[in-house]
Amino acid sequence: MRFGHRQRFEDDMDDELRFHIEAYVADLVRSGISHEEAARRARIEFGSMETKKEECRQAYGLQRLDELGADLRLTFRTIRRNPGFAAVAILSLALGIGATTAIFGVLDAVMLRLLPVRDPSGLVFVYSAGYEGRDGPPYPYFELLRDQAKSFDSVAAFSPSGIELVADRGRELARGVWVTGNFYETLGVRALLGRTLVASDDQPGGDDGGAAVISRAYWQQRFGGDPSVIGRVIQVFNHSVTIVGILPTEIMSLEPGRPIDIAVPMKLSSPEKMRDRTALWLFVVGRLRGGVPAQQARAEADGLFQAYMAGVSVSDQVRRMLFQRIEISDAGQGLSGLRSMYSRPLTVLMILAGLVLCAACANLANMMLGRALARQRDFAVRLAIGASRGRLIRQTLVEALVLVGGGLLFGILFAHVGTAALAAFFSEGNTKIVLDLSFNLRVLSFAAGVTLLSGLALGILPAIRAANADPALGLQGGSRGVAGTRAAMAVSRGLVVVQVALSVVLLAGTGLFVRSLNELKSVDLGYRSEGILTMEVAPERRVFGTPEWFSLQTRILDNVRRVPGVRAAGWATMNPMSGRDRGAMIEAEGFSHRTDEDRKVHLAAVSPEHFETLEMPVLFGRSFTERDSGNAPKVAILNETAARFYFGRSIPIGRKMRFTNYPSPDLIYEIVGVVKDIRHDSLRDPVARFIYLPIPQHVERINRLALAVRCFGDPILFAEPVRKQIASEGSALLITDVNTMEKQVEDALLRERLVAALSATFGTVAMTLSCIGLYGLLAYTVTRRTNEIGIRMALGASRGSVTGLVVSEALRLASAGVVIGLSAAAALGQVTRALLFGVDPYDPQVYAGVTTLLLALAATAAVGPSRRASSLDPVSALRQD
Amino acid sequence: MNKQVELLQGTLDMLILKAVSLGALHGYGILVRLEQITGGRLHIQQGSLYPALYRLERKGLIAAEWGESDNKRRAKYYTLTAAGRKQLKAETALWNDFSTVVAGVLKAVPGES
Repeated sequence: MRFGHRQRFEDDMDDELRFHIEAYVADLVRSGISHEEAARRARIEFGSMETKKEECRQAYGLQRLDELGADLRLTFRTIRRNPGFAAVAILSLALGIGATTAIFGVLDAVMLRLLPVRDPSGLVFVYSAGYEGRDGPPYPYFELLRDQAKSFDSVAAFSPSGIELVADRGRELARGVWVTGNFYETLGVRALLGRTLVASDDQPGGDDGGAAVISRAYWQQRFGGDPSVIGRVIQVFNHSVTIVGILPTEIMSLEPGRPIDIAVPMKLSSPEKMRDRTALWLFVVGRLRGGVPAQQARAEADGLFQAYMAGVSVSDQVRRMLFQRIEISDAGQGLSGLRSMYSRPLTVLMILAGLVLCAACANLANMMLGRALARQRDFAVRLAIGASRGRLIRQTLVEALVLVGGGLLFGILFAHVGTAALAAFFSEGNTKIVLDLSFNLRVLSFAAGVTLLSGLALGILPAIRAANADPALGLQGGSRGVAGTRAAMAVSRGLVVVQVALSVVLLAGTGLFVRSLNELKSVDLGYRSEGILTMEVAPERRVFGTPEWFSLQTRILDNVRRVPGVRAAGWATMNPMSGRDRGAMIEAEGFSHRTDEDRKVHLAAVSPEHFETLEMPVLFGRSFTERDSGNAPKVAILNETAARFYFGRSIPIGRKMRFTNYPSPDLIYEIVGVVKDIRHDSLRDPVARFIYLPIPQHVERINRLALAVRCFGDPILFAEPVRKQIASEGSALLITDVNTMEKQVEDALLRERLVAALSATFGTVAMTLSCIGLYGLLAYTVTRRTNEIGIRMALGASRGSVTGLVVSEALRLASAGVVIGLSAAAALGQVTRALLFGVDPYDPQVYAGVTTLLLALAATAAVGPSRRASSLDPVSALRQD
Repeated sequence: MNKQVELLQGTLDMLILKAVSLGALHGYGILVRLEQITGGRLHIQQGSLYPALYRLERKGLIAAEWGESDNKRRAKYYTLTAAGRKQLKAETALWNDFSTVVAGVLKAVPGES
C-alpha cells in the first residue's frame, strides 16, 4: 500500500470509528443518560481506540507489511551505523557471484553450449580413423557416403580455409570455409537476409561461379551492413561469385570460437584435392535419419569405407595410421578444438571462483553470526515483552536478504565487467578465437541461489538459537550467560579457519601458476624472438611455384633490407609459433626405420637468410646460399634433434636422406648443415625433428610465404615501411597476418596467462577476506573476554602476556587454516598437474611462502585487538559484565 | 430484557452479511439493526465489530463507500457484494443443517439409540 493510500486509510479508519462512538453517545443521550456518562460508557464498551485500530489493521492484512517496513528500516539503520561490515559483506559476495558467473559464461560458451542448429543431437561428425588419430575422410568417399548411405538423411562437408577475394578494394584475405551446397540445409540454418546455399549450388557452373554467403559480423564490418550487398558479384580465387545471403555469425561453420566471414561452394576450391582419394582436408557432418542409432550409421559408413579403401592404393602403414575405419562423434557442440584446449584451465578456474564464493559466504555467515550473538540480549528483552519468535526470525531474514540482495546487484555488475575483461583477454589482437559471451542467466541464478542458501542458513541458525533461548537467562548473563554461545563461537572460529584454508588453496594455486608461467616464458626458444616483424605474403595464384615468384622473392628481400633499421629479412614456408605446421616422412641413410613414427619430421623451406634473421646458429656445416637453386644438387639441413636421432654421434654432413611420402621416388637430399633446435609450435612439448630445404628445392609447390624481418627497436613500427616496399614490387601481392614474433609467443601462452592472472586476483580477494574475518573475530573475542582480561591483569598478568593471548589465538586459528588448506591444495595437486610446467604441484617453496604469508597476515590482524586488550584499564574491565 | 445469548464464534461474520443484505448500512447501523431484529436478545461486543468488518471487506464479501448519514455526517456505508451474497447463502444453508442436526441430538429421548 503506497504511502498516500496508507495515510488515507488511517484517516478513514479514524473517521469511521469516531463516527461510531459519536452515534452511540447520541443514542445513549437520547435514552436519557447525561452526556459525560454516555461518553464514559461508550468509551469503556468500545475499548481502547488504539487497540481496535491495531486489530483493524491486522484484519485488513497490513500488519505484515508494517513489520516488513520496520525490519527494513532497522536493517538500513544498522548498516548505516556499521557501514564497513556491510560494505565488506556486500562487496565480497559481489565478487564471488561476479567471478563465478563470468567464468561460467566462458565455460558455457566453450564447453557446454549447443550450436544453434536444428536438433543438434541428430548431427554427427564422420571421421576416417586409425591408430594415429582421426581426420576428415577424402572427398570421393564423402560423395559415396552422401549418395549411398541409408542411415543419414543428408551428409555434408566443410573445410575452413583462408579465402582470397576481390571486392572493391583489391585483394583481401577473408576467413572462410568451403562448404558443400547442402551444408546449411543439413544443419537446418536459415538466412537472416537473402538465402543460404542449397544443394544445387554444387552443380558445375560454367561461367557463373556460383553463390556465396557471408556472416552477419562480416557484413557489418566489411560492407557496413548495406543490404544491397546481396546480389553483388565478387571474385573468389578468380571465379565470379554472387553473394546471395547473410547468415548468423555463430553458425557459419561448426567450430565454436572460430570466426568465419564467408562460405563458398567447395567446387571452387581445388579440383585436385576433390579428386584425391586419400587427402584428408574435410570435415564431414551427417544428420542421422530419425530413429537410426549412431552405431548403426557407423557400421554402414564403415562398410562403405572398407569397400572404398579396397580401390585405393596406400601403404599398409599409412592405412593403419589413418584409414583403418570410420568413427562417428556427436556434432551438436561443434568441433572440439577449442574445448580440448581450454576445458581443463576453465574447470580449474571455475573451482577457484567457487572457492572465492565460499570464502565470501563464510564471511557473511560469520558476520551474521556475530550480529546474532550481539543481539541476544536485545532478543531476550523483546521476547520478554511479548514479541513472537517468528517476528524475530523474520527480522533476521530480512537483514540477510538485504545484504544478499546488495551482493547480488553488485555481483551482476562485476559479472558484466568480468565477462568483458575475459572476452578482451581472449581476443587481444588475436583474431583466432571469438566467443559469444552474452550474459548467462542460468549461472547467475545458480550463484545467487547458492549465496542465498548459505547466507540464510548460516544467518538463520543463530537467530533461531537466540530466539529459542530462555529470555530469563538472556536478560541476566550479559554476553556470557546464554547457552549456545560457546557453540556459536566455535562455529565462528571454524568459519575463520575455513576462510584461511580457502585463501591458502587459492594462494598456493597462484604461486604455482605464476611460477609455471615464468618457467614457460624462460624456455629457450632456440632463436631470438624480440625485434622480429612477421607477415604472410601471397602472390596471385597463377604465379605459385613459378620462376617469376622466385625472382620476386629475391627482389622483395632486397627492397625490404634497404629500409633503414632493418637488419635482416628472410622467407620461410612457415615461421615458428605461427600456428602453422607441416610434416613429411623421410628415410635417412644408414638408419633402420622400424615404424612410421621414425620417419616423421616437420618440414619447412627457407631462404638463405632465414637462419640469420631468426638468429638460429648453424652448428655444423653451412646454411643455404643462392647457389642452392632449383637445378643445383638437392641439399637439406637438419635440426639437432633430427641429426642426433638419425645419425647418433656422427656428424651427418654429406649423408643422404629421401622423402617417402611423395609419389616421386627420387627425392634424395644431401645434408649440408645442422641447425640448433627451436620451439616451433609449443613451448611445452619436447622439440621435434625438423628438416629444412631451400625454397627453390622444396618438395611442394611454393604458394604463400612467411616473411620475417629483424629490426632495430619495436618491429611494429616497421610494418608500414616494409609493406610499402613489398607493394612497390606489385600491387597484386596480398599481405596478411602482420604481427611480431614476440606477440605470437605471448599468444601461445594465453591459457597460462589467463589462469595465472585470475588465480592471483582470487587469491588476493580471499586473503583480504580472511584477514577481515580474523580481525572481526579477534575484536569480538576481546570484547567478550574483557572481564576475564581484567581478572588476569588484577592477578598480575603483564600487558605483554595479554597481547600474547590475542596473538596466539590468531596464530592458532591461522595455523589450523594453513594445515587444512595445504592438505586441500595437495589433494588438488593432481588436477592442476597438467596445467603446470616445470613446477611440481607439491612445490615446497610455494607452500612455505604461502604459510609464512598467512601467518604474517594473522599476526597483523591481531595487532589492533591485542593493543586494545593490553590497554584495558583493569578496574573498568572488572566492572564489566 | 430477555436473557442475552452470547454470540458463538464465527457467526458474527454471517450476521453482518445478513444485516447488510437488507440494505446499505454503516457500522453503527449494523449494530442497531441486529439489535432490532433480535429484539435486544443478542449482545454484540462493540469492539469486535470493526475488525470483523475490515476482515470481510478484505475478503471481498462486502464493499464500502463513503456517504452522508442522517445527521449530515460523513460515514462509511457497507453493501453486500455478489461474492458476499453467495457466501451468505452457503453459510445459511450450513447453519440450518447444523442446527437441525444438533436439535435432533438434543431431542433424543433416553431409550432411543
